[in-house]
Amino acid sequence: MSVAVKSAIDDGVIEELRAIIGDDDRVLPGISSRVNRTRVPAPFPVHRWAEYMPDVAVLPRTTEEVSEVVKLANRLRIPVVPRAGGTGLSDGAVPLRGGICVDVKLMNAIKEIDLVDRTVTVGPGINMLKLNEALRPHGVFYPDDPASYPCSLVGGRIGTGGWSLLGARFGHTRDLVISMQVVLPTGEVAQIGDGGGRKLRKSSTGLTLKQLFTGHQGTLGITTEATLELFPRPEVEFSAFFAFDEYTKAWRTTGALTRSGLATLAGVVLFDEWKLRYLRRDDEAYIPQPESVRAVIAVAMYGTRAEVEPASKRVLEIGRADGGKYLGDEISQGDWASRHDRYATPLHGRSLDGQAVPMSWHCEDAALNYSVLPQVREEWHAIVARYRERYGIFDDWGMFAYTNAAHKPWGDYLVEIDVGIWEQRLDDENWDAWVRCKREISEVSLKYGGSITACHGATRAGDAELVPTEMGSAWPVVLAIKRALDPNNVMNPGKQRLDEAYE
Amino acid sequence: MDAYTGPNGDGQLQREFVERWRDNAYGCFSSGHKFCREVCPVMQVTRNENHTPTAFHANVVAMEKGLLDVADVADDYVHCTQCGACELRCPNTLFTGDFYRHRTRTVDVVKAMRALMVETGNERPGYKLWNERLAEAHSEPVLGDVVPSQDHVRDWADGLEIPVGGETILFVDCEAAFYRTSYTRAFAQLLQRAGVEFGLMREQWCCGGPAAEMGYMDLARRHAEHNVADWRAVGAKRIIAPDPHDYIAFTEDYPGYFGDDYEFEIALGVELLAELIEQGRIELTKPVERTVTYHDPCRLNKRKGVHKAPRDVLRAIPGLTFKDVDRVTQWSYCSGGGGGLPVEKPAITAEISRRRVERAAGLDVDTLVSACPWSERPLSEAGEAASIDVVDLFELVAESAGIDVGGARRGLVAEERR
Repeated sequence: MSVAVKSAIDDGVIEELRAIIGDDDRVLPGISSRVNRTRVPAPFPVHRWAEYMPDVAVLPRTTEEVSEVVKLANRLRIPVVPRAGGTGLSDGAVPLRGGICVDVKLMNAIKEIDLVDRTVTVGPGINMLKLNEALRPHGVFYPDDPASYPCSLVGGRIGTGGWSLLGARFGHTRDLVISMQVVLPTGEVAQIGDGGGRKLRKSSTGLTLKQLFTGHQGTLGITTEATLELFPRPEVEFSAFFAFDEYTKAWRTTGALTRSGLATLAGVVLFDEWKLRYLRRDDEAYIPQPESVRAVIAVAMYGTRAEVEPASKRVLEIGRADGGKYLGDEISQGDWASRHDRYATPLHGRSLDGQAVPMSWHCEDAALNYSVLPQVREEWHAIVARYRERYGIFDDWGMFAYTNAAHKPWGDYLVEIDVGIWEQRLDDENWDAWVRCKREISEVSLKYGGSITACHGATRAGDAELVPTEMGSAWPVVLAIKRALDPNNVMNPGKQRLDEAYE
Repeated sequence: MDAYTGPNGDGQLQREFVERWRDNAYGCFSSGHKFCREVCPVMQVTRNENHTPTAFHANVVAMEKGLLDVADVADDYVHCTQCGACELRCPNTLFTGDFYRHRTRTVDVVKAMRALMVETGNERPGYKLWNERLAEAHSEPVLGDVVPSQDHVRDWADGLEIPVGGETILFVDCEAAFYRTSYTRAFAQLLQRAGVEFGLMREQWCCGGPAAEMGYMDLARRHAEHNVADWRAVGAKRIIAPDPHDYIAFTEDYPGYFGDDYEFEIALGVELLAELIEQGRIELTKPVERTVTYHDPCRLNKRKGVHKAPRDVLRAIPGLTFKDVDRVTQWSYCSGGGGGLPVEKPAITAEISRRRVERAAGLDVDTLVSACPWSERPLSEAGEAASIDVVDLFELVAESAGIDVGGARRGLVAEERR
């Protein structure tokens, strides 16, 4: 069996890496470079930090450098862990077996803006906010808009198969990537798209490979260049918040809004009672609503004035038809604008006795059908309540449900329960408890025909062991592809039970 | 490995450092969102995760866990201009800071780590040499090998007949006293034009702020004590600080050193100037035919929230075409000139300035106006390559007031003296 296990990086490997990169400042074997390329914002077993460090980090500038590094790793059976922003909410970029961290942040060039065929070609290290700053003068934008919009990078978005707040209107990351250059686990470079053309959105030649290389969590290769979609900057934005005195009314209204057929609808977000309680913990994170408010819906639309203005009237009708109360322009415009920042600040953590303690954030991101939302909600809150009561280091930060499918907002939802975890109190017992809690949450998703993860990646303990169950009869296909592309299991090994490909 | 074994003893200093900063660091570590990263001027250039504000906090936690020693991270902590952008962009500060009385204190963590580096023998060679020279001359070595002596600390004011002493003292920064003297001459003559009475110090030492930024706390304090004693000896009550760096030292460092025993009113140059113009005490009559944009100096905009006064002043100058970029966009701008970065990493400073000037060039302006002499040296060098003139706000105002400023913009007078 040729499975790369814990790596054996010696001075000879470091010298070879230096020869490939040609700049000692971009080959980083020092302890601080390793410590700072270990975790992501997701809950982390901080008491076992050293087990998750890469052995060396490299900062390549070109596809050729990445290719040569991966060839070296493949030859010597050294694990490779791709890392872009390191802002993921699962553990895609966390090394499980040491090895070489290929950190692509320096590959952040904008290589081409094509206003005729409407594409922009970039390196994977660029951030979307920075990209849009450069696109703005041209009247176009790249609408990949996650909560981490100011900090996540294009390469990580592709690797994780990211979800965008505006996805119902503009699509998510995989819908926005037209083609890309990928360094495969053997170090070969492949141009991956729909068919052969770098700027074509639809083809039936060969196999449709693009989907395979978005959302693989760094297990099938490293994207070193991406050609992305350009949209005209929307003329107008309309956003509205509606308050409800009970969840089911809000849930029904969410369904009605998403089935409305309004093409400019960019997203609908449903807040539950726990989420409102969390947001009321201070007087600034949310404009306070009276206790009678038990659920809220946020809606956003983008497009031309000719489309959005009449559509907004329809949204206001539907939003109020089943007892919803429009919350006014101030909260609607202001809160939507800052939604990216507002959830999950560690200072809102509360211990069992109500003291404020710094908590890190777990963001569950199951994909679930509309019909099961009320039932899943009850079961999830019950699980978190049980663990919170028993261990005292967890906190229920409430739930959101977001429209999930690109361009088709009616059928399924990205469903999020946010759990605060007091990292300073983590030891083996508490960490194991967290993993069990996480697994129980995922098991509920599977029980109701859902998926563990809509966008973050099922790469962490508590998720990873359930991936074969969720994939079912498709799992052998997954293993065959992994084995074919990565014969020595060097590319981000240990993730999602993919080791089974080598058993 | 003993987590706290420093090179110079039993590691007690590192232990105290961790205990002092751990809780604040956990505020960042637990969040981990890294919203700070793309506004950080250094990170925008190096793209190295070691140089991020997030890493500066995570390292404290890693030290607590026994993974890191001060020696392991000493070079990383040089990669900071102490501009404060990361603190503003931090979700903890931005959204919940005042409710919880919490502020992510990255600038202070960097300063404290640099102090620990000095105390544990991990100081950087460039910082060491710079501060040895400061200790000898009591002014920073802003002229390179030419020692800026106390005999010449008031040369910038030749011919202006400014008295020594009085209730109001004009404090003149080292860079402004020896290198960009046009800045200081412009400001002093504008005060004279408005009839403001002020004097100079008997013996002016460096404010000590840069030494504190580089971790030389004893040296910084010695300079602060000297200056305060000099102010008291002439009965000063009000100190005018035209330089934003001095203003930070006098309003943040000095109160920390002296506590309640610090009785001075500190006036910021640009705010005073804006007031004098508004009151009609300085008339701007000569049109200045330039197309300009304004560089928000970090210590004004990001550290002190001062962004309105300089814009008011610019808009009062006749003939000027002003293409503004808002202050929040400028959170991610910097000259790279602060926090000792150019002392240790001049190439990064030069690249930060090059990018800043490039943004100005994109606005089709002929002039970049700043309001901080420390930014103006690297910006001027970058501006030369891009054919953009870098001018200080005071210099521009003086021109519009019909004042023949004199002095040097790039240390030329000092060069001639050599």
